Amino acid sequence: MSTTFKQILATPQINERWQKIKQYFFLRESTYDMTNRCNLRCEGCYYYEGDKQHTVDERDPARWRQLMTAEKERGITFVVLAGAEPGLVPELCRACYEVIPHGCIASNGLKPFPADIRYRVHISVWGDDDESKTYRGRPCLDQQLQSFAGDDRAVFVYTFTSHNIDQADSQVQRIADRGGQVTFNVFSPPVNYSGPLSMDAASFHKTHDKMLELLDRYPRAVLFSRYNAEVHTDPEQSLHQRFKCPYPRQNPNTGLGLGRSFRQYRSDLTWDRAASCCVPDTDCVDCRHYAAGSAIVTARMARHTDSVQAFSKWLDYVDTYLAVWVMGYAKDENLYT
Amino acid sequence: MQEKIAKIIIDELKLKDVTPATFDPQLNLIEDLGIDSMELTTIVVILQDEFKIKIDEDDFAQLTTLAKITAYVQNKKA
Repeated sequence: MSTTFKQILATPQINERWQKIKQYFFLRESTYDMTNRCNLRCEGCYYYEGDKQHTVDERDPARWRQLMTAEKERGITFVVLAGAEPGLVPELCRACYEVIPHGCIASNGLKPFPADIRYRVHISVWGDDDESKTYRGRPCLDQQLQSFAGDDRAVFVYTFTSHNIDQADSQVQRIADRGGQVTFNVFSPPVNYSGPLSMDAASFHKTHDKMLELLDRYPRAVLFSRYNAEVHTDPEQSLHQRFKCPYPRQNPNTGLGLGRSFRQYRSDLTWDRAASCCVPDTDCVDCRHYAAGSAIVTARMARHTDSVQAFSKWLDYVDTYLAVWVMGYAKDENLYT
Repeated sequence: MQEKIAKIIIDELKLKDVTPATFDPQLNLIEDLGIDSMELTTIVVILQDEFKIKIDEDDFAQLTTLAKITAYVQNKKA
């Protein structure tokens, strides 16, 4: 007979963590492309795939404020400001923040954000300086560290590709030495991508081991868990294949959860249900993206309630997700070690 | 069974001014009470334990009222 949920929650440490994360169940996200401009061109960038890059930017903060007010009215409590580079339009980010105070900005981190916009800022890191020069056109980390020195909003996001697994040691050390925090992403190719960065079984395994090594070495700087590593580097199954993605692009149900409320707005403030997910134009059968997992794995709580171990893994995952995405949420020690 | 399920919902959502006997079985938990998918998932997990049934993930979205949940559980128990 399997363990009941009540029995799982009888463990004080688990119950305490459960009560902590439950307070954030009110978060309901949507994502917004802020502009079609970017000061980098990165290999395999999902933004410059598909139609969304050709939209005409809405540059009027008042129109963005209007959109945010409407979003708030329909129940959105968390905004993710993404493509192409929100750092180029801080006045629009501010308009969003003034209406919806919980959110996150996905940035290349080359330009600092005004201090009054108290969203989490995710700063993308793609290998060492040479790697960055090759696949992003320039070295980035020095300037990123300078732009966000001592900034409690910043979380660096190291994206593993088939090329840069061993480079993670030096880059994470640079971030940790400067007192920064870092989490991990896995390169998830756009549809029809045929470039050099895609992973294979060997690189997934190697990435998995590297993630755990860095998590052990930098327990304060690295925001991650063993279960994050497991589900994001599964060579057999993408996140969608393993957990059935609940974003509208793969979920026809409009009655509940992300299928009901999630929208992905383009920079002209339009949205298309058929294309709506957190990383549009990414290939779902190869998606192991950290942003996708944050919603997908979290939504699948019911699959993790048959044992203390399974629920501990899920709690670690959600604890990591909240620490990475939500200002003011502090990560606890992982329960499953 | 309906009152037992109502009590689970009331306890989990910490609803005030309502008892299992007065809970409107047609009240839409999502539209009227504004509960989110995680709260509904939690209720589902508790129902699974309480009634020793398995509720398929694809069925969560149809569990929108006390009446529908009760009918669903009764069907599973039959």
